[in-house]
Amino acid sequence: MDGSILTDNLSSVVDDRVDEGMFRVDRAVYTDEDIFEQEVQNIFEKCWIFLCHEDQVAEHGDYFWTEIGRQPVFVHRQEDGSLKCFVNACSHRAAILTPFRRGNAKTITCRFHGWSYSCEGACIGIKNEEPDTDRSKFNLREIAKLESYKGFIFGSLSPDVPTLDDWLGAAKPWIDLMVVQSPDGLEVVPGSSTYTIDGNWKLQAENSVDGYHVSTVHRVFAHTIAARESKGEYTGIGKTEAGRIGGGVPTASYDLGNGHMAIWAEHTTPEVRPIWEAKERLEAELPPEQVDWIMTKGRNLFLFPNVMLMDNPSTQIRVMKPLAASRVDVSIYCIAPKGESDKARAGRLRKFEDFYLTSGMATSDDIAALEDTHEGSLARGSKWSEFNRGLDSITYGADDDARALGFEPAACTDNWDHEVLYHGFYRHWLKMMKGER
Amino acid sequence: MSDLQQDVTNLIYRESSLLDRREWDSWIDLYTEDAVYWVPSWANEEETITDPELQLNLIYLRNRGGLEDRVFRIESRDSYASVPLDRTVHVVGNVLIENESGDEIEATANCIIHTYGKKGGLTRGSLYDFNLRRVDGALKITRKKITFIDDRLEGPIDVYHL
Repeated sequence: MDGSILTDNLSSVVDDRVDEGMFRVDRAVYTDEDIFEQEVQNIFEKCWIFLCHEDQVAEHGDYFWTEIGRQPVFVHRQEDGSLKCFVNACSHRAAILTPFRRGNAKTITCRFHGWSYSCEGACIGIKNEEPDTDRSKFNLREIAKLESYKGFIFGSLSPDVPTLDDWLGAAKPWIDLMVVQSPDGLEVVPGSSTYTIDGNWKLQAENSVDGYHVSTVHRVFAHTIAARESKGEYTGIGKTEAGRIGGGVPTASYDLGNGHMAIWAEHTTPEVRPIWEAKERLEAELPPEQVDWIMTKGRNLFLFPNVMLMDNPSTQIRVMKPLAASRVDVSIYCIAPKGESDKARAGRLRKFEDFYLTSGMATSDDIAALEDTHEGSLARGSKWSEFNRGLDSITYGADDDARALGFEPAACTDNWDHEVLYHGFYRHWLKMMKGER
Repeated sequence: MSDLQQDVTNLIYRESSLLDRREWDSWIDLYTEDAVYWVPSWANEEETITDPELQLNLIYLRNRGGLEDRVFRIESRDSYASVPLDRTVHVVGNVLIENESGDEIEATANCIIHTYGKKGGLTRGSLYDFNLRRVDGALKITRKKITFIDDRLEGPIDVYHL
């Protein structure tokens, strides 16, 4: 079997010889079901996984049901304001305990045989309980680790993980760039969209920080917006920003370590961005380097292995749930600074709807490209994908922009067309696949 | 069948036929310049969002220019998701006139949309809420709200899939 040969010899699928001018990945990493099984067990069930944002579980009793790898869990806001995350399965017969993906229940009652649990997870009721039952052995099981970084909640099924702070590392200042935009923090705007891609989750990960495709796949988006604007129908913050799609603006890409990746491209029309109204306030509140990053650089951040944070024309949380080697669910949310004006909020949402969403005019094109890429990866006659663009431009450590913001990437280049950031992704992928920490 | 019921039903049938037959310009002509085209996202399993301005929509176009953007992109043949174009068949039913006031009419309808494309066949459903207006004797669409009942979406969703 091809698959078992590959999982026994994983180093053969990541051909890492940067010193010789070669970094390439066997496309079987996208298509091989044995590799996928190993990813679920060695990556998704052994790693910090983004679960939800604190705004989605704001009040006592609020719950959010999601999956870590394939395992159902729910985050539950406690009476004292803290958070717990439980396995989402009744201790009796495993029925899912939350009727909705999101809801509020200060006690949870299983709809199958009526067992009930307190918000803290204690088993507090067993229907027709028999004498001398020890309810405590039926308490809900908490997952091994749960931590929040400035509102972004992560959990791990494995206790053997670094602290969340260490794990996020150089990515933290990128998250901060979103968080500091309002003194009251961020909120998740009502409504969301989930779509299923017939393609491997790593293709979605790559695409989210791939600057190189923008001027081809999204050329039509730029042309569509140019045609719209030539009619003069939208002005000011109502405009959708498409100027940087054609290229010709400063850009950069970063391997942030631990498999995290990021890119930015300079905004051509920062004055149409929803955050523009807050420019003076931010300049008064924040260090000038941070304001400069917020106002001038449109950013895509990928946090290994399952979440992307976008702050470019609009702002987005994009969460992946891998289903199979060839299937991944993606859920997207608009995240926004609390307290922004209705005009800015509407502008942010219209830009979101223009570009993102499988019903939008750009993400739909990305998905089609990903699905074609997945299908093409089945061709074993051409089995290598090279990630060599930018090899001659690598800076190990920080560039001037990174120093200004205060983060230390593993490597970076001064062009979002470059592919060096993926080296960090696949090196970390390989490390976790081999069971190394 | 009353003349009004006949006119409203014909208009709604005509719209779905023009989408299925790719007669984009004639489709856009069914809408007034100030027409609103709204597809809310789902807020949870049972309810869509209710405020299109300040909540997230799947599509929210605030005038006919928004429809023209969509057609521009489809006709460019440069959209990865739109080449090749999925085939669609809309089957409209349950056309009901809900209100009539002067030249303004409110109507609802249901639609089953069968799509065939790279993923094979998909059958999905929409609830339509129309606001119509008589303009120079002909009915035009001033607002169309589409409640697309599918939530976990397969493949691209454009105006002809809905």
